[in-house]
Amino acid sequence: MAQWQAFLATPAGRFVVKYLVALLVGFVLIALKPVNDHFVNPYTTLVAHEARVALNLFGEGATVQDQVLSSPRFSVKIFNGCNGLEAILIFACGVLAFPASWRSQVVGIVGGLVAIQLVNVVRVVSLFYVGVFKPQWFAATHIFIWQSLIIVFAVVLWLLWAQRYAGVSAPR
Amino acid sequence: MSAPRGELGRFLRRLPLSVLAAAAIWVVVRPVYEPALCRSAEIAARMVEFPKVAKIQRDDGHALIGRTDLRADSAWLKLSLTQIHFNAVPFLALLFAFPGARPKGTFRRVLVAVGVLLLSHVLALVANVKVFYAADLGSWSQSHYSDTARALYGALRYFFDIPVTFTLPLLLWVGVFRERVLALAGMAVGDAAPRPSGRKERRPAAPA
Repeated sequence: MAQWQAFLATPAGRFVVKYLVALLVGFVLIALKPVNDHFVNPYTTLVAHEARVALNLFGEGATVQDQVLSSPRFSVKIFNGCNGLEAILIFACGVLAFPASWRSQVVGIVGGLVAIQLVNVVRVVSLFYVGVFKPQWFAATHIFIWQSLIIVFAVVLWLLWAQRYAGVSAPR
Repeated sequence: MSAPRGELGRFLRRLPLSVLAAAAIWVVVRPVYEPALCRSAEIAARMVEFPKVAKIQRDDGHALIGRTDLRADSAWLKLSLTQIHFNAVPFLALLFAFPGARPKGTFRRVLVAVGVLLLSHVLALVANVKVFYAADLGSWSQSHYSDTARALYGALRYFFDIPVTFTLPLLLWVGVFRERVLALAGMAVGDAAPRPSGRKERRPAAPA
């Protein structure tokens, strides 16, 4: 216990506490109905439109209705949990809680959002094609592979930002 | 920087293979783990209810949740077990990706972390059982549970389905390798912090 108290008194300990609080606040916020209706759902629709644009580059003729991405060959609904918002929270809370300058944080969050969006478009497009060609693999690919990868990606992104771009402004 | 950039590079180079190893282990363990998870969750659900009627059966990668005191043709909830336990893969992948020797006490921390992860899977399934009772059994749910109870169990299910599922691998990994993860991010943690990269620490000059 004393060891934990000593740890929590360090900048690293304070970072861990701030990170946990930020995650808690973030996940509670996106669960609130007004936030869900006015932010999460439109954001998920945006993800669907990004995937539609990518799929149409391959001539799929995809369309979007709310959060449903459809083409003549396959349809997929993007739910909360598949929109990349969890990865964004894992990354953004880590950036905000980290003892770095606000400039580094802004750059980190903007860059991270773009990177996670890109990976998420790759995820949706790849899942679409798994659904087209190997529908029996869809559930495993969707949950087992991509959700694991998206968590790992958010962690890697944060580590890269923290070590290479953030610097540590807090005293040791 | 507290940790040499080389360590982050080694971590990142090991990560793809670690993900594959973690996925392979989980594919092998899954057929044994899923029935054990269903049985544990059934026991846990029955511990917090009276009469003890919760029934959780494994059905081809899914859990079938029901009550033994309702008619055989009553509703059963079918949910993906993979959605509950997939987070073991990123947890193991992050665990395997750390290069080098493990500091003393790491094995004990790993055991505790694995225990917490498995417990979270059991609790996630129990939360789904409670939501099934409170919201999915039509008029039976309406007459046995209040709107407040439904909202509380719904919040509990959300808590386990999204925040816990997605953040626990990361949090447990930080818990296991606290000093090394934070050093990797550029933060020193007490005595365990590595020395600045590429430089040897100078001893103060001896007095003449």
